[in-house]
Amino acid sequence: MKNIKLFFKNIKKYNKYAIRSAKAELKSEVADSYLNWLWWIIEPICFMLIYTFVFGVIFKNKTEYFASFIFIGLTAWEFFNRMITGSVQLILHNRGLVTKVYIPKYILLLSKSYTYLFKMAISYFIAFALMLFQGVSFSVHAFYLIPIVIVMYILTFGISMILMHYGVLLNDLANLTRIGLRMVFYLSGIFYNIRERLHGILQYVLLRANPIAFHMDEMRKVLLESKLPSFEGLAFWLIIGLILCFIGINIIHKNENSYAKVI
Amino acid sequence: MKNQDKKIAVTVKNLHISYRGLTKTSIRATWSKKRKKVEIFEALKGISFEIEEGRILGIIGKNGSGKSTMLRAIAGIFSPDKGSINLHGNTISLLSIGVGFNNKLTGYENIYLSGMLLGFSEEEIKEKEQEIINFADIGDFIFKPVKTYSSGMYSKLAFAITAILETDIMLIDEVLSVGDVKFKEKSFNKMKELISDDKRTVIIVSHSLGTISDLCDQVLWLNDGEVIEIGSPKEIIPKYKEFMNL
Repeated sequence: MKNIKLFFKNIKKYNKYAIRSAKAELKSEVADSYLNWLWWIIEPICFMLIYTFVFGVIFKNKTEYFASFIFIGLTAWEFFNRMITGSVQLILHNRGLVTKVYIPKYILLLSKSYTYLFKMAISYFIAFALMLFQGVSFSVHAFYLIPIVIVMYILTFGISMILMHYGVLLNDLANLTRIGLRMVFYLSGIFYNIRERLHGILQYVLLRANPIAFHMDEMRKVLLESKLPSFEGLAFWLIIGLILCFIGINIIHKNENSYAKVI
Repeated sequence: MKNQDKKIAVTVKNLHISYRGLTKTSIRATWSKKRKKVEIFEALKGISFEIEEGRILGIIGKNGSGKSTMLRAIAGIFSPDKGSINLHGNTISLLSIGVGFNNKLTGYENIYLSGMLLGFSEEEIKEKEQEIINFADIGDFIFKPVKTYSSGMYSKLAFAITAILETDIMLIDEVLSVGDVKFKEKSFNKMKELISDDKRTVIIVSHSLGTISDLCDQVLWLNDGEVIEIGSPKEIIPKYKEFMNL
């Protein structure tokens, strides 16, 4: 519990730095481009159009509000994918910093997560606009998106902390993660509805064992179908997320001052 | 020479640091029967010393003697494998050039980014902002992206940030040779001014025996991760020169 106390103390101390660093990254990302911050809007819209064309037009997917359906899935996926991919080599990419100044290493991850949360927020605003355009009727259930995102954030942060640690030690982890993420990408129902397309044990396993499939499905339920989310499922993934965070915090506290010796 | 009081600023006790705590590996190496034997490099071998508050300690030694490792351990970047480091509640900073700089942002924005990374609050940086800008003396470039700076300008700004944002204990690793001749003199004088504060403890690592003898009132001589001797510059530097055939 000592490490958990220290974690919150460090978050309080370095949170402003994490926010400033996230802002700096966002600013520097678009600093040299002509369209500047418009890329944060253009990029997700373009991906949505591509997937809608491929899976809606070519593969004739009949899912209702398909463009919104894809956009909501993509938004959740992009956050998860960026966090996981970025975490594996986060320490290595910050070699100059890690070897010259002491900073709790999860602060680097926290800063990254703020960057991706900001991008996710933009994507959700576009999703809402798209839903209005497609005539989706909003209900109060849409507010359940907030707890769903919070649970997904905690879970992703936990996984990312553990990967960040092992990414320092295991050279192959970046490749393994890439393959793993590709598999999760196709098994998460980004461009198909798991509840409609898959049945029986496969549907059960995917929606319960794949956290991203679960969170995407819950987001679509509250936004597109005006249904309540699965509180049981959210509680389950919240507990898993907290356990992973607990493990990640302890691993990092135990090892973080040794990273500078091996990178 | 500073007033000497008996308050201890840093206590290093039986410090051991090896570059073996974690081993980088690959899946193949993990499963292979022909696993390479892990090489252990002991950078520091049971170092013990104390520094009184307000003292200026210079660390000398040949390349690979463990000087920078020692500084990083005191700064909290490396954890001891054995032994302990006690800072007695003092704040500490390692004077490093350009830590946390984002080259696409302006010098002004980087003052905040780098300063906050070093553990200072926005308010503390705001208070010192003008002093940093004046000391860096790079004119309107302060509002231009750092990537447009010459290496001299980059060093000036980086030095100004770390030198103006002061802590109780300052660790300096070969940074006095930044910028042009004029700036070198200015930074050397600034260093003297900083360390002339009776409360501030300074640890300097340098190959320049002139710098060590000008600035320090105590010298620690390291060789192959062990303390050879600790004493006044007058006492240690001639012995070191003889050892190194200088």
